[in-house]
Amino acid sequence: MKRKALVSLLLAAALLLSGCSRQAVLTSNFEQIDVSLSWWGNDVRHEYTLAAVKEFEKLHPEINVVCHYSDWSGYQKRSDAQMASNTESDVMQINYAWIQQYSPDGDGYYDISKLSDYIDLSNFSEDELDFGMQNGSLNAIPIALNTQTVYINKTIYEQYGLGIPQTWDDLFAAAKVMNGETYPIAMVAKSLWFFVIAYAEQLTGKTFMNLDGSINFTADDVQVMIDFYCRLVNEKVMPQPEYYDSLKVATGEYGGILAWISDASSHCGKAIANGYEIIVVNYPVGDSAEVGDGWYAKPATMYAISRDTDHPKEAAMLLDFLLNSEEMAKLQGVEKGVPVSASARACLEENDMLTGIQYEAFLKMNEYTEDIAVVSPYLENDSMIEGFRNACNAVLYDRSTSEEQAQELYHLFTGL
Amino acid sequence: MAGFFGRGRENTADIRKFKFSLIAYYAFIIIGITSFISVSTIIKTDDVLKSKVSELAADLNVQMQMNLDSYLSRVETMAALVFAEKVAYTYDATDANNDEYEALNTENSISDKLYSLCLMENFVDFSIVYSNNHVVGKLSNNTKDLFGSSLYDDLAGIINRERTHDGWLAGYSGNYNRIYYVKRVNSNAVLLTSFYATELESVFEHPGGIADITIRLVEDNDVMIYSSVDGEMGSIMSDDISKRVSGHDSATLMDDDYLITVNPSGDNWRVISSVPTQIILKEKNTVQGYILGIGAIAAIIAIGLSMILSFGVSSSVGKKFTTLNEEAHVDQLTGVLNKRFFEVRVDTLLQNAEENMQYALLLIDIDNFKSVNDTFGHAYGDKVLADVGESMRSTFRSEDSLGRLGGDEFCVFMGIKGSMSEEERNRLIHRKCSELLTALRKREPVGDKEYRGSASVGVALYPRNGTSFAELYKMADSALYATKRKGKDNFTIDGEEN
Repeated sequence: MKRKALVSLLLAAALLLSGCSRQAVLTSNFEQIDVSLSWWGNDVRHEYTLAAVKEFEKLHPEINVVCHYSDWSGYQKRSDAQMASNTESDVMQINYAWIQQYSPDGDGYYDISKLSDYIDLSNFSEDELDFGMQNGSLNAIPIALNTQTVYINKTIYEQYGLGIPQTWDDLFAAAKVMNGETYPIAMVAKSLWFFVIAYAEQLTGKTFMNLDGSINFTADDVQVMIDFYCRLVNEKVMPQPEYYDSLKVATGEYGGILAWISDASSHCGKAIANGYEIIVVNYPVGDSAEVGDGWYAKPATMYAISRDTDHPKEAAMLLDFLLNSEEMAKLQGVEKGVPVSASARACLEENDMLTGIQYEAFLKMNEYTEDIAVVSPYLENDSMIEGFRNACNAVLYDRSTSEEQAQELYHLFTGL
Repeated sequence: MAGFFGRGRENTADIRKFKFSLIAYYAFIIIGITSFISVSTIIKTDDVLKSKVSELAADLNVQMQMNLDSYLSRVETMAALVFAEKVAYTYDATDANNDEYEALNTENSISDKLYSLCLMENFVDFSIVYSNNHVVGKLSNNTKDLFGSSLYDDLAGIINRERTHDGWLAGYSGNYNRIYYVKRVNSNAVLLTSFYATELESVFEHPGGIADITIRLVEDNDVMIYSSVDGEMGSIMSDDISKRVSGHDSATLMDDDYLITVNPSGDNWRVISSVPTQIILKEKNTVQGYILGIGAIAAIIAIGLSMILSFGVSSSVGKKFTTLNEEAHVDQLTGVLNKRFFEVRVDTLLQNAEENMQYALLLIDIDNFKSVNDTFGHAYGDKVLADVGESMRSTFRSEDSLGRLGGDEFCVFMGIKGSMSEEERNRLIHRKCSELLTALRKREPVGDKEYRGSASVGVALYPRNGTSFAELYKMADSALYATKRKGKDNFTIDGEEN
């Protein structure tokens, strides 16, 4: 027995000593998968999206999300450059129009339907997903539905003894009463584009552009748009878009604005905080027009995945988080409009977050769902909007006539 | 029989004591040596670990500072690129003589240029601000709100470097969400660039070689422009860190609470990395535990081996000692105590006898033993003696002392309870004597003859017949004589007739 114990102890000592011998050390380095995400927006959107990304990274420490963001103007140029140079982000916030622009055959973006194991597509109806379908490929998923909506500062209008403007004429009449102290309405260049199209469509009874991008308007109809714009500026119904200043909404220097539902809070939030009563109203109408004529709706931005992404699974996980997660829904609220995702919407309902000016605008849009047309993806072409603005300025500053500019613009539109 | 070996037992106890002392001393030396080696190793490891972690932290902080400088330099380069477009720095939006249409187109052109320059950057603002607060380029609503009507004046106030006419600022109006860089474009315009402070997360991204390290970008007033700890941005750095780095622009220090390293960046910013010393010590404690564990195991093994060896040696020595001890005390032929140790044993018992204790000394003599040797030979005589020893052992109790006093003379010293009456005592003695005589009384053929064995017994009583072995022996001998006179093969107690 003792001999056995002795042998056991010697063996234990030998094992211990052998444990002290040097061995090659091999440890696995912690590696993260980089997934890039790009979006445009204002400060609020940047801040909550960055916070959401942090939440996502906590849930998935193996993924590092690299963020690229800017405001709208810079974003589109950046997106153009990235798509052309194949350096686009893995997950992208895109504009509805870009599906047609970058993916005419449906292969410009990743077919998200192939990633349904990671993205819960059951949160979206077929109609909603159709917005992102291109040539049988699910190129993008809508975040919310959006339309240009009129927001009127009722307090200011009442101060001038004016009622809520219902027609185009009401706006011109209001401008006379306000006498240059206050603009009855104001907007950025893109909103103005939709504004004058609505007027011209109501006046001519024609649709400016078909869904396939073909133009129905004649040069004369385009001239109507230019003339109307110049009249709006000259009669001080609105400031030139170049001089639009969102802070003037807060100070009551603008009696109303036209803006996307998704931008309503950023434009009107301060005015509401300052005690002004801001209400959502119908698009103005002409004599023979009905509410909804010339009014367009579209998905308020969409999410797409790069067709060349190296990490489709991780990109899909991020996309699912952005669209469907409770965390993102709570951070985002209705900043981009009321979410299309059923789970995100349910989360907002449960948390009483379906409130505020953007939700009111969403309800207003829903009142006229059947009357509001779906915007053609080609209608938001920047070259068209830029060309229209330059033409209007040339007329406004007497560098050219509206007839001449209408002819040139018509050729530009049809050429595009 | 074990009871017979009082002195032997003492000697065995001495050996055992020596054995345990030996093990204790050995264990003490082993523990001392392993402790010394372990503590020395721990101290050395501690020094090396602290030194290496300090170097690692210092290198990391320098790398963070270089990352930051590189990022800030890139922002400044982007701003400088605006000057590649002459109209951007020659155009003056405040000039009252500007043609409005031309101005509009010029500003659109400059704006396009600005957007193109910062196309790939996460800038919040990138615009030229004129002295009439007119802005061309990208200007966020938050910046507009924050600066209000003093936009140009306050931006111009940020410029503090004469050489390059530019400057950096964080925490404008207590808002640390974004960091501003301003560069003068001309006498009536400045270029504004800003980005979210959270952008620095990618600048200060590190591989996490040191657990729980906190990286901060701190102004000279100790306000944190950036911190890797959520929620710290814009607040004042804790006194714990602040006091330690006070007066240091580039240093690494380590005390019982923190390892801190600081490097300057820009004019009045510092990159400060800190990690609680306990976090580092946690790693050290792992190493320390390992070393102590190994030391303890080595000590236990060494002590265990020494115990086994010691037990092995002492067991062998003990056996030998016991054998020698027995040989010294025991009559080898009969297996009972020899005369000397029997007498010592009896005297010792009598000296230590409790009050009322009774004893009986039985003196046994083999009848006619001389004729046994003469008739059957000495070998048979030895066998008879050995049988007597065996009969005595089987008759008497283990606590009784048995001895051979010489030749064919044997002796038994019986202990009798003091509570026994005289009658009970005598009955016990009678019974034992009868049993013994019966056992010795035998007939055995030896060759063509027959051996007839018997013995005579004389009994003396303590204390009645004496209080020492000599006194009792004398009385027992007298009783034995009486038995022999009566015809042997019998016993006599204290001269009484049986």
